[in-house]
Amino acid sequence: MASTKDATHWRRLVEECFRREAGAEAPVSDPAQDLIETGVLDSMGWVNFVRALESASGLSELGARLTERTPSFESIFQVFSEAKADSPSAGATLAEAGRAATRACAILRSSCAVVGSRTIPSDEIDRAFGMPEGKLRLRAGIESLAYATESENELTLGVRAAQQALQAAACGAQELDWIIATSETHRNYPSLSAQLHSQLLARETCGALDVGGACLGLLNGLAMAQGFIASGQAHTIAVITSDVHSRIFKPGRVRGEFGGLFGDGASAFLLRAKNDSTPQHAYALGEFFFGCAGQYAGAIRVSDAPNGTLDVHFDGEALSRAAITRMEKVILDVELRSGLRRSSAQGLATHQPNPRLVTLLAKQLGLAADKFPSVARIFGNLGSSTCGVALDAILQSARSLYASRSGPIFLASLGPGLLFGGGWLIPA
Amino acid sequence: MTKLLITEITRMGPAFCVIGLQRERNGIRSVRPVTATANSWMHFAYHRGDVLECDLAPFSGSRPHVEDRASTRGFRKESAVPEPEVVTYLRKAEIAGSLEDLFGCVLHENKTGSGLFAKPPDAKRSVCGTVTQNLRLELCANVLRATLALPSGEVLRDLPVVDRDWRDFIKAALAISRGANRLARLERFLDSQFQCKVLSCPHHFIRLGLTRPYHDRCWLMLDTLIPLPKDDWLEEF
Repeated sequence: MASTKDATHWRRLVEECFRREAGAEAPVSDPAQDLIETGVLDSMGWVNFVRALESASGLSELGARLTERTPSFESIFQVFSEAKADSPSAGATLAEAGRAATRACAILRSSCAVVGSRTIPSDEIDRAFGMPEGKLRLRAGIESLAYATESENELTLGVRAAQQALQAAACGAQELDWIIATSETHRNYPSLSAQLHSQLLARETCGALDVGGACLGLLNGLAMAQGFIASGQAHTIAVITSDVHSRIFKPGRVRGEFGGLFGDGASAFLLRAKNDSTPQHAYALGEFFFGCAGQYAGAIRVSDAPNGTLDVHFDGEALSRAAITRMEKVILDVELRSGLRRSSAQGLATHQPNPRLVTLLAKQLGLAADKFPSVARIFGNLGSSTCGVALDAILQSARSLYASRSGPIFLASLGPGLLFGGGWLIPA
Repeated sequence: MTKLLITEITRMGPAFCVIGLQRERNGIRSVRPVTATANSWMHFAYHRGDVLECDLAPFSGSRPHVEDRASTRGFRKESAVPEPEVVTYLRKAEIAGSLEDLFGCVLHENKTGSGLFAKPPDAKRSVCGTVTQNLRLELCANVLRATLALPSGEVLRDLPVVDRDWRDFIKAALAISRGANRLARLERFLDSQFQCKVLSCPHHFIRLGLTRPYHDRCWLMLDTLIPLPKDDWLEEF
């Protein structure tokens, strides 16, 4: 039974990847046919097809294993079955075994998002940065920004989000096995996770871990948490994001075209190992995948300058291009890996560099814009918390539906580097 | 009559594409001799470093292949220069250290697979040199591909390698006469000694090129990797 299911799975992957390269109407012909010799694909197209399959299947050595073989479907299926036979986990490739172990083992039990308490119209930010009034609204689509008050910072926002997420799941902080924190703005010691640990009054043996990745931080954190739960190291984990840009990207320190895009916010997610009593409206974590597209490394670089200012290299045009292309690619990969159609998604929790790019991304993907919660338009780019606030909004909207009617949630985000990552959640 | 220092001999299907350096009043620039009927040569008996005499018609190809010049008669070898000297001249020709400067245009990512491409009207040239910070070659489904880091820190991933000599070297490495486990031995070489041999070479240098437009895309490829492979390296693995 399992092998029939596997064969169907591989055939679907092969056919989808092939049609992406050869065209939607291309027939999947005789399996033994030499695809290059017969002109179905040229050598570039053949490699593209193989690379897409590597990405979709997780079998990263597919290309190497196909060397000295006929470029045909038959060779690909042979490699898949050989890889399976070679695997120590008998019956699955390493990638498959890993996925089987982690898939649906962790439940996203509750969530919460908070933003800075001050809401500032974007025109006011334009003026503060010395830009023409209306620039942020007209060029980037940002209507307002959420800024932290004087009494708010990464810690207070993060604690507030975490406490509400814990309360929503009726989970005491003493139940936490790990606190995983991420922030692109908190650069002090003790680290954010340690401070959150103290403020939440977690038990001493609860681990505290900070993960990086800037805007990709939430996905990094969720993947770490999933791994801890899958390995049996943890049962209950809080993943918390918190970013306060308004203290760093200030007028005089950075240009408004960059600094004016960012707001302040936090999000928290409570993850638990799956057991028999899965609550209604819970989502299970699917799979995550990550990478780094170094060809875009030059688009954004931020470092401390000796005079105390920030040295920001921000090529907005290049970054926008990179963001759209890569996010689209990640979402297509989520579709391919999960077998879920993006049109069936409850929503897409993605990074939102600015609202204009979100609109463009929705258009490129042929999706309604409201599949992407409005985060950047109202609050600004919240760094690692953008994805978190968007995910929380989708989860809240799913709670208002009958459990059977809620759809999967797609995740996709980027960080400087250009780091990228994707994943999905499915109704548990 | 033009004197051409041959710097590129690349495989384009069954044919060869050739590029050389031509000295001009203001410096040195790349020139691609083409025949009257095709962009490539079915036979090309010369080597990198050869200085050839030829006659080139004074016309420029269309963007981005502005280096094209029609060759009106055959080549005649005049002399040859050693590899380090070839690189000295290459460094004086088209050179860049960042992605955008390579071809004077934005390079786009392939959304459905791998590799990078330029849009034909945007690219200002079709060949450029650079000093790579790191380089890896791998065989993917019978095709030789390169991944490299530019001085800017940007990474070019999964470029097809069309350098004739490197392709011939890989073919020779996989020849049946070389015995068992040829592929594994080659992969081990590419993962270990290769990097040492190439990156420790004081004059290591690469040239990147753009393919002819195909569906409005010119794909990036690794045209030349210097040092060129040596036959005796085959004895080492």
